[in-house]
Amino acid sequence: MYGLSEMAQTTLEPQDFTGLQARRQALDAYWQQGVSGYALVRKHSEFIDHHLAASFEKIVTAEDGFALVAVGGYGRQELYPFSDIDFMLLYDPARKNELNRVVEAILYPLWDTGLEVGHAVRTPDECISHAAEDFFFRVAMLDARLIAGSVPLFAKLTEMYKTVYIEGKRQEFLDDMLIQRAKRETQYGRHTYLLEPHIKESCGGFRDIQSMVWTAQVVFGLKDLASFQEAGLLSRDELARFEQAQDYLIRIRNRLHYVSGRKNDQLYFEHQEEMAQAFGFSNQKEILAVEHFMREVYAHMQTVSVTTDLFFEHVEEVLRGEETPKTAKVLEPGIEVRHGKICLTNIAHISNNPKLFMRLFYQAAKTGMPLHFKTRKAITANLHLVDDKLRHSRRNAKLFLAILVTPKPFSILEEMLDTGFLTSYIPELAKVKSLAQHDVYHVFTVDRHLVQTINELQKLKKEESNIYAVVSAQHILFLAGLLHDVGKGYGHGHADRGADMARNLGARLGLEAEERETLDFLVRNHLFLSHTALRRDLEDEEFLMRCASKIHSPEALAMLYLLTIADARATGPTVWNDWKAALLLELYLKIALLLDRKDISEQEQTSGAELGASWIREKVSELLPEAENVNFDLFSDDYLLSFPPEVIVEHITQVKELGKQDVLFSHEQNRESWSILVMAKDRPGLLARIFGVLALHNLNVLAAKIFTWDDGTAVDAIEVSSAISESYDGQDWEAMENELHLAIKQRLGLEYRLSRKLEPLRNRPQGVQQRLAAKVTIDNQASELYSVIEVFSKDRVGILYDITKTLSDFGISVYRARIGSKADQVVDVFYVLDYDGKKIEDPDFKKELQQGLLYAVTNA
Amino acid sequence: MKKIEAIIKPFKLDDVKEALNGIGIKGMTISEVKGYGRQKGHKEIYRGAEYIVDFIPKVKMEIIVDSSQVDDVIETIRQAANTGKIGDGKIFVLPVEEVIRVRTGEKGEEAI
Repeated sequence: MYGLSEMAQTTLEPQDFTGLQARRQALDAYWQQGVSGYALVRKHSEFIDHHLAASFEKIVTAEDGFALVAVGGYGRQELYPFSDIDFMLLYDPARKNELNRVVEAILYPLWDTGLEVGHAVRTPDECISHAAEDFFFRVAMLDARLIAGSVPLFAKLTEMYKTVYIEGKRQEFLDDMLIQRAKRETQYGRHTYLLEPHIKESCGGFRDIQSMVWTAQVVFGLKDLASFQEAGLLSRDELARFEQAQDYLIRIRNRLHYVSGRKNDQLYFEHQEEMAQAFGFSNQKEILAVEHFMREVYAHMQTVSVTTDLFFEHVEEVLRGEETPKTAKVLEPGIEVRHGKICLTNIAHISNNPKLFMRLFYQAAKTGMPLHFKTRKAITANLHLVDDKLRHSRRNAKLFLAILVTPKPFSILEEMLDTGFLTSYIPELAKVKSLAQHDVYHVFTVDRHLVQTINELQKLKKEESNIYAVVSAQHILFLAGLLHDVGKGYGHGHADRGADMARNLGARLGLEAEERETLDFLVRNHLFLSHTALRRDLEDEEFLMRCASKIHSPEALAMLYLLTIADARATGPTVWNDWKAALLLELYLKIALLLDRKDISEQEQTSGAELGASWIREKVSELLPEAENVNFDLFSDDYLLSFPPEVIVEHITQVKELGKQDVLFSHEQNRESWSILVMAKDRPGLLARIFGVLALHNLNVLAAKIFTWDDGTAVDAIEVSSAISESYDGQDWEAMENELHLAIKQRLGLEYRLSRKLEPLRNRPQGVQQRLAAKVTIDNQASELYSVIEVFSKDRVGILYDITKTLSDFGISVYRARIGSKADQVVDVFYVLDYDGKKIEDPDFKKELQQGLLYAVTNA
Repeated sequence: MKKIEAIIKPFKLDDVKEALNGIGIKGMTISEVKGYGRQKGHKEIYRGAEYIVDFIPKVKMEIIVDSSQVDDVIETIRQAANTGKIGDGKIFVLPVEEVIRVRTGEKGEEAI
């Protein structure tokens, strides 16, 4: 090695080394002087050319036989501070003897300066065969440039290359290019908006630009970007925007190499602030310098990405010969389908019919077919026509809302965003367009995040179908998804500001007052659940009650929950995991169960569970007459927490009557249901008899609270509604009370009466579905004292009678029960003990009981 | 030197951090962890659908302190994390042989 570098030193003068080594400082000086972008990388390239050519010419004396050829980025004269210097020594096989000497003389001095040199030594034939194997070399050859040496040798190579790889190979070239693009997408993501964009490889980076230029070179024979306009591939505006974006990216990449001190093309998080400074941004009240800077980066990469996407669609169409289709199916006046894409029948029409914008998107949403690239371009070119009139048009708004509830709104909204239509139609979103958030959580810019939220909501439809079923106003949920961060970009308090903006937008879209209210609520509180789940004690009943009264309805809760998940999943990979999902689910279920209770009994929410059992005891003794001596040991906490103190006092007062009567019965009318209270000495089958009488009187059980005091007094509070929509006054309460007495005294043939009454209802065939829906579980872990039986089934008249009758037949006593039926589903939970007052532990008995209950709910 | 590992309820994290800051402990490592144990996971039935989470979400804090501070830190965590209910968590104390700061190479107490 020593000898070799010795030799190198003899061929190049020392001042040449300093020259090469000093080049970075020289480039930095250029930057300071304002030379930037393409001019700077070109200067760098010339700098290297000069040195290479000088050292080459010192060694190679003969005119022919050797040529120094720059390839790749260096070939394009785009050399960044730490870029590899890719060149090739082309030689005539006849001069092979001199090869070693030439190679060493050129390479060693370069290595000694520490430059990253990518070199190859080849004959023209070797180049051609190597290009066959290596796609990257094949395209790098497109940029081949002679630095020094034999002109005829270089001409021979380019001629051969053209014959072998370009002429008649247009389709192959395009296919290869598209495969590489797809590979890059999988590796670097489909979006330009990633936290740390890779300026070279990411979507909208240099590779996209180069792929476009290369392809245009091979397919259309275009020399450079400027000729795109002449060829009709880009409009003047499009070309100007594209070149601006390209120049910006060049400046970034240039600076990035300096800032990172090595060949680095990824805009790492830790470099972003310094880069922003270098680009002259400063922190402002509402937006950080780095956020401002990243916004520009994203916007330019987006321009590149969209332009290249459209370009490749164009090329594909040209090569397939589909430019003038023979068949077109008209969808509506002005809009048709060609080759599976939605097109304007005549591009020019959009300029005098702005209604077509939304119609196009609507057709795409309805049919699931994408918009043709020329139509997309036409939309972008005519956005100035989206005016106040269109923004206030109800008909237009209806279509927009209809798009939101199609099965796959995500791709449509993404297209709206990419064409620029979304921010023209909803100018409120312009402030968040390409807006970056400088933290490690937010992977996407705000606008992209909003559209991603729609994507997640769309996915959740399937994944959380049970919860979705609670949501009837889906368009409001999706609108909230699209708008929840609309208040960002103005400083703190984005949720409140966003809610106000969303409300205004709602009015413009013609939403009903109630819908606007919900939209406002969702946007304002979109962080509430995730904050709460992490920061509050989920066992704090009082707090949960406050959440429940804030959220108010199961539907609002379901919407907020789905929005929270979608928002988190659309934020970034670190934000959502099963750990957070578990906390959020726990919170959701706790509030949901409270809301379900609240739905039924209104008094409960005010006092009851909000206050501890001991407070209730105090309150109850206060309310009772002084002489009254009550043994509070009779009452479980659970019982005390289930009723307001006033009601407990009523129970205690009424129970004295029980000595004279077998059963106490009272009823009252609530807003949405009727309450029935039955008190009786507990006895086997009591519950079955009560439910049997209710069924006889056409009463549906909505919910029930079943308790047994320690002295054996059963207190059953049942919420009912009439199955035949009888009015409260029209209900024959007296007859019912009589029958209840008879039933409890075992003087009523409940079984035969019910069977006769329900006969006409039972003739319907019992489908498989019903049997599938039914499920019975017996859990001995859930409660310390009792076995917990859960029965799931389809609802029907008399089902509770059948369940409780079966339990009583097995000698099982029910101590507490939670009856819930929603829509046509029954979920009943019974806290029970067996005939001996023990839990149901025996596996055989358990199985038998399960079978018995299943039979009762499915075969009656 | 000792390492103190505390497993606490997630919502108590801010309280505990604040309390530790109050006695001069600023540095700690915090991670989201899943507890599988006596306090079993969560099973709930809502509107006919079954929701099961087979772990309990917890937060783990790791703090390296000088041996003289151990009792203080333990008591501070215990008080701040306490709700009196099941699942409040546990605190472990482990011996630490050596601490080295990567940047400077400082060792021992200097590096904490």
